[in-house]
Amino acid sequence: MTVLDLSTVEAPAAGTLPATRRRVLRRLLRNPLAVLGAVVVLIAVGAALLANVVAPYPYAQTDFSAALQPPSPEHWFGTDYLGRDMFSWVLYGLRVSVLVAVMSVGLSMALGVPLGLLAGYYGFLDPPVSRLTDTLLAFPFLILAVGLAAILGPSLATATIAIGIGQIPQVVRVTRGETLRLRGMDYVTAAIAGGASDTVVLRRHILPNAMNTLIVQATVAAPAAIIGEAVLSFLGLGVRPPTPSLGIMLASAQPFFRDGPWMAVFPGVAIVALTLALNLFGDGLRDAFDPQESRR
Amino acid sequence: MRRYLLRRLLESVVTFVLVTIVVFLGVRALPGDPARTLAGEESDPATVAQIRHDYLLDRPLPVQYARYVLKALTGDLGRSARTGLPVRSTIGHALPVTLQLAMFAMVIAVLIGVGSGVVAAVRRRTATEWAANSVALLGLSVPNFWFGLMLVLVFAIAFPILPASGFVSLFDDPVQSFRHLLLPAIVLGTALAAVIMRQTRSAMLEALSADYVRTARAKGLGGSRVVLGHALRNSLIVVVTIVGLQLGVLISGAVVTEQIFVLPGFGKLTLDAVFTRDYPMIQGVVLVTTTAYIGINLFVDLLYSVIDPRIRVGGAVL
Repeated sequence: MTVLDLSTVEAPAAGTLPATRRRVLRRLLRNPLAVLGAVVVLIAVGAALLANVVAPYPYAQTDFSAALQPPSPEHWFGTDYLGRDMFSWVLYGLRVSVLVAVMSVGLSMALGVPLGLLAGYYGFLDPPVSRLTDTLLAFPFLILAVGLAAILGPSLATATIAIGIGQIPQVVRVTRGETLRLRGMDYVTAAIAGGASDTVVLRRHILPNAMNTLIVQATVAAPAAIIGEAVLSFLGLGVRPPTPSLGIMLASAQPFFRDGPWMAVFPGVAIVALTLALNLFGDGLRDAFDPQESRR
Repeated sequence: MRRYLLRRLLESVVTFVLVTIVVFLGVRALPGDPARTLAGEESDPATVAQIRHDYLLDRPLPVQYARYVLKALTGDLGRSARTGLPVRSTIGHALPVTLQLAMFAMVIAVLIGVGSGVVAAVRRRTATEWAANSVALLGLSVPNFWFGLMLVLVFAIAFPILPASGFVSLFDDPVQSFRHLLLPAIVLGTALAAVIMRQTRSAMLEALSADYVRTARAKGLGGSRVVLGHALRNSLIVVVTIVGLQLGVLISGAVVTEQIFVLPGFGKLTLDAVFTRDYPMIQGVVLVTTTAYIGINLFVDLLYSVIDPRIRVGGAVL
């Protein structure tokens, strides 16, 4: 695809970015699915962060007289085998999901972006960086998590590191591709001819223009990270009780399939709602950044 | 061609060496005495001493590493700290379970993925395409293990028509094997179907706008002949390689699926090894999967370059 991105050719400097941003925002707001996704994400993240204010019950409060109750006006999502309010649990579980997603995506970006920039800009660094990402890719996500859990012990940090490392190759690939594309552009050649140092070229001319792609990459990585955390905690490789995690809730629901199926339903619905909303928002954002590409 | 072959082979060897170093150092990064860790928590001093001797733990790291790789290359992966059985034969017993599951899942994934991908490409800008795309998006958003739990809830608990757990080999009782593997294979298969669907769709779109398809249409061939005989046949090249590269998803998926449906396969073995701190087993499992992964990647790349000469000539495929 060789569509020339006019906005970056005409106005590569950071000072004129707000105009572009406004145009992107306008295109985004015209896409109802993306807006719906953004609203759901905002509500879910808001409720998760304010869980201690919003939740109707303290998440750890047990009430054996109210154990395994189906959904009702008092307990929207029912109660679990210890009589804990599932709705409150889900809110606190979402908080862990959001936390792990933000930290693991941040970790993969912090390590992957510099590697991708270097590999794309300096040809001689490309082979070693490729071997490094190949090595990481040779570890399927869960095998990597198994190895890390064996070394570090299962925990929230282990889950975050496993997910973050697992996503590095993709970040490197995307950043490298963008760097290669931008390096060949006239304004970068002009900057280099004007005597700009490599650091200035990378930081002021290449990185800001690769940002759109990286933001889209983050919206793809975040839902994957949320599902990753749930899977790891479900298997016992991630967050450990008593920290509330949606994955742990699903694991603890398994013995109660007959008596309390809602225990297995609502945490999953919460994960699906959040990841689906993130995916819709991400798709919309990609379209808004680059209408030609997505209309193909 | 030979140069490309050599380069890819060399790259794979380098990656393999890096992987073995990571795995080797991983066990040494564990807190405490590696000999004691490898022997298991409740082992007598004689066993620990034996292991220290066997693994050359009193020698410098490079010597230990060389010995480790040589033993691994001859298929000696040590003994399980939990059962005392050789790691290699334990993995050998678990693999057939996972392979039967994986084959079954692959069939389901290809049927759903290729089918819906073709439909989405042919029926562009219709409700059918929209529906196929929505299902694919849902497939990417629904965590597979939760989908598995819901299937158990519906088909094993609410309407008990299929077993919720257990394994019967295809070679012992095909009917029971099918009944036991159907739900797990659907769970694992749908995990792959979404990716296959997206790849098939974009490959089909490209093929349908290619000159040879226009020629075929100009010759007067009917719609389905062109779609199935020409476009799909050429798209399948891309799809086959994508399927090959999904091995990582397949392995991760197998770990989760086997845990939900209590199947005694490779994934269950892996998790049990972590929970019992069976380090030789973990080391073996990680080494076997990563080696298989590198090998299959290489094979797929080479296959691809045989099918599509542009790759080995250009060499600049991003």
